[in-house]
Amino acid sequence: MWEAAGTALFAFADPYRMSMLIVGLLAGGIIGMMPGLGGIGAVSILLPFALTLDPFSGLAVLLGATGVVYTSDTIAAILFGTPTSASSGPTAIEGFAMAQQGEAGRALGGAFLASMIGGLIGAFVLTLSIPIAGPLVLALGTGELLMLAIVGLAYASGLVGDSPIKGILSAALGLFLGTVGVAPSAPELRFTFGAPYLLDGFALTILALGLFGVAEVIVMLGQGGAIAQQQFKLSGWAQGVRDVARHWRVVASGSLIGVIFGVIPAVGASASTWIAYGQAVSTAKDKSKVGKGDPRGMLAAEGANNATITTDLVPTLLFAVPGGPAAAVVLGALFVYGFYPGPRFVQMNLDLMFLIVWSSALSAVLGAALCFAASPWIARITRVDFALVAAPLIAVILLGSFEAKKSVLDFATLFAFGVLGWLMKRAQWPRAPLLVGFVLTDPIERNFWLAYQLHGWNWLKSPIVIGLIVVVAIHIALTFRRAIMTRLTAQPTATAADERRFDLGLLLAVAATALFASGIAMSLRLAFDSLLVPMLAAIPGLVAALALVFVRRRGTTAVPWPPTQEAGQLGLLGLGIAGIPVAGFFPALGAYLTIMLWSRSRLRLLIVPYVGAILLAVYGLSRAFNLHLP
Amino acid sequence: MIRHLSRREALALGAATTAAAAMGPARFARAADFYAGKTIDVIVPFAPGGAGEVTTRFVTPFLSKHIPGNPTFNVTTMPGGGSILGANQFEKQGKNDGLLILSTTSSTAFPFMFKQQGVDYNLANKAIGYTIAIGPVVYSAPDTGVLKPADLLKPKVPLVYGGIAATGSDLPVLLSFELLGLNVKTVLGFPGRGPIRLAFERGETNFDFQFTSVYLTQVKALVDAKKAVPLYTGGSSDAKGNFVGRDAVVKELPSAYEVYKELHKKEPSGVVWDAFQAASALTFEYGITGWMPAGTPQEAIDAFAIGVEKANADPDFQTKGKQVTGGYPLQAGKKVAGTVKKALSPSADVTNYLRDLLTKKYNVKL
Repeated sequence: MWEAAGTALFAFADPYRMSMLIVGLLAGGIIGMMPGLGGIGAVSILLPFALTLDPFSGLAVLLGATGVVYTSDTIAAILFGTPTSASSGPTAIEGFAMAQQGEAGRALGGAFLASMIGGLIGAFVLTLSIPIAGPLVLALGTGELLMLAIVGLAYASGLVGDSPIKGILSAALGLFLGTVGVAPSAPELRFTFGAPYLLDGFALTILALGLFGVAEVIVMLGQGGAIAQQQFKLSGWAQGVRDVARHWRVVASGSLIGVIFGVIPAVGASASTWIAYGQAVSTAKDKSKVGKGDPRGMLAAEGANNATITTDLVPTLLFAVPGGPAAAVVLGALFVYGFYPGPRFVQMNLDLMFLIVWSSALSAVLGAALCFAASPWIARITRVDFALVAAPLIAVILLGSFEAKKSVLDFATLFAFGVLGWLMKRAQWPRAPLLVGFVLTDPIERNFWLAYQLHGWNWLKSPIVIGLIVVVAIHIALTFRRAIMTRLTAQPTATAADERRFDLGLLLAVAATALFASGIAMSLRLAFDSLLVPMLAAIPGLVAALALVFVRRRGTTAVPWPPTQEAGQLGLLGLGIAGIPVAGFFPALGAYLTIMLWSRSRLRLLIVPYVGAILLAVYGLSRAFNLHLP
Repeated sequence: MIRHLSRREALALGAATTAAAAMGPARFARAADFYAGKTIDVIVPFAPGGAGEVTTRFVTPFLSKHIPGNPTFNVTTMPGGGSILGANQFEKQGKNDGLLILSTTSSTAFPFMFKQQGVDYNLANKAIGYTIAIGPVVYSAPDTGVLKPADLLKPKVPLVYGGIAATGSDLPVLLSFELLGLNVKTVLGFPGRGPIRLAFERGETNFDFQFTSVYLTQVKALVDAKKAVPLYTGGSSDAKGNFVGRDAVVKELPSAYEVYKELHKKEPSGVVWDAFQAASALTFEYGITGWMPAGTPQEAIDAFAIGVEKANADPDFQTKGKQVTGGYPLQAGKKVAGTVKKALSPSADVTNYLRDLLTKKYNVKL
């Protein structure tokens, strides 16, 4: 075995292959930074190129890219609060809060280092996977997969914010949105209203970009000025390294959680990062900074997502069952090269196996080093007038959302979720549970019906399932205890002036009540095996929404109507998006960016060349991604 | 796939003579110029990494090498609606200049056949550039007591089969259960055929099928370890579309046809048999098909026919093909289009039978 490791290292040290790894690394790093295009986008765009190379070099390109995307996607999450995927959500919450406090350098430094450690732990486990992972994957049946998804949901809904009710409501909303489209368990369409666009439901990328990306951009634009609202600290990266050293346990446990979810196919990185985040948050003694720039949760999540994307290769190589979307592309490439992963692959191609391990490890280190070296300069972006950053950011967000389904409706959907995200942010509803609930709808529904059909209720008797139920029960109990304690100690802060104001929270709660009530009414027409999960989402959602409407908590302040500046910017974006089907993508985007920059920046005459350059860059990207924009 | 072999024998006469005899020298010359310097856009209506994409990415470089004029192939994935969205997009683009292909499976053909909601494409009027088979191998777990096809009617424990959806590639296999008269509990809703194989390995199911390439590379190891018993294949069709031959690659296993004769001591016939054959043709025999818009020039179709013949004779294609597709040869659209279209529009009896089976037994809303 070690001989093969040496042979692989020798084959790997070949300058040509090494340079191919770096090509993948750079491409993956750059694509990973762009909201909506990261992850699978990076490997998909490199695949045709990789297939023209010899297998070792081609795999080096692909693995170089996969190894770095979850490191470089940190940049957009921290600097703009825009996660490029559901799995960088925790970073978008904590890291962005740190950036707003002027600590972008610290957040970036810590996140990159945690990413690197996660990637290395993943690569190490990949090496050990030969004897261990096989039995692990085979020990987890449909029932266990169902419970793992439920653990993810439980952790996510009790994560951020002051109120478990809002968390449950948000998670229920996510679960409910996740049921749109073809039911996984029965050949039936749900809530599509006859629109072919909704056959597959909503796209995760668009949901994440709208909920976080658009919402944060709008808020920043409304406020004006730069991202960092406080004194900008350039030397922060050293502090980031110290954070990792101080919280090394959090990074290590996050990475291990990432490893477990990577090895298991079907649940994926989105769940692992949130569970790692929840784990870090719930073990922290001082919870006052959670959601407001606490590095611990971010470090755990960054360790987890890199560990997951590396160990996604374990089921891919051992069973030819891809652990995630990027691993699916790597698997396809292996087939085309004439390798067939499977039980015998590892023994027969030990050198290739080790090449994969080396590539993953090296790309984790190099990718982090690259991002790390760049971070003091990247962090300066937070000092720039935000409108200047927002212009290219919005252009890429639009492009990234179009990549999802390649329909003009993608833009409208993005805008709708942007409005939702903005309202939720302003009403102080946590958005993370929505995203996680959405992601986990499919594994929960699918595995429940599979487990039930295969085993009846006997799936509950598995020791792993029982253990996971205990984990969920403890977590829920602790969350509610924490909430009750907070409530008992809370002091009324409402003033007469606040009470008189219009309550946005109440408005949202009423809207959610209406949505869930009509959801229940519509679900009643479905067959039993496709109505169960919509009901499981809508009924608790309705109860939570009604609780928010009628139970006025002591110490609650009415949420004021958000600033008109923000509403104005949102309206402007809406007009721009409405212009796309009328005038075409580039004219509409150009006009929107010009007006937005005119209203929010001091560029004036320079606006025209700046917008022109952005449009040109977006055009180049759309060609690279083979997108035919309207 | 006896027909492939006979075609191969014909090929021995020389691709040039065949082409010359079929089209005459003038047509050959026109097909030769047609694709020079051109790029063909190929839409794969599935997510990257699946069989549809892998097979398409595998065959297109060989077609590029062997089609006269060496066109470039630009493969894009356009997933959605179980391939319906990508196919609709293909229909909408509709440029019939020979530069657009929809490379897809029966997941696109069945919704068209059943006129499902959301289908805006019409496969019946399309041309076909190429097609390649992907055969199934049905196998059982030894603890079912089904150790040979003859045991199928009396398993020791109930047979449990995991599938994705009754209207997809599971359909011909489910129809083989109907045909053979097997009592199988079917659990549909798995996210892919890989996870189904894992469920079989875990013992959650005990009766399964995988495509030939996966059978050869993954399931064979289980067979060697006495954890799986291979039972039968879908077989292959003769020139009239009768599935009476053995699978072209897995020749050692009997076909569903042979198993039927062994179990029931008579020739299969009737509506179930016809439904099985139509579904098998679309899913297995013409498993991955490169559809081209109606009105695509004959020169383009001819150029593909030449490319297909030459690619099949390419030793590199044969060697690598064993690993990627199981080793089935490509077939030229101009030769098989008639049979494919026939399978696409079966008799009213067959359609009614299928609708009835899908709606009543599998709760599909058609």
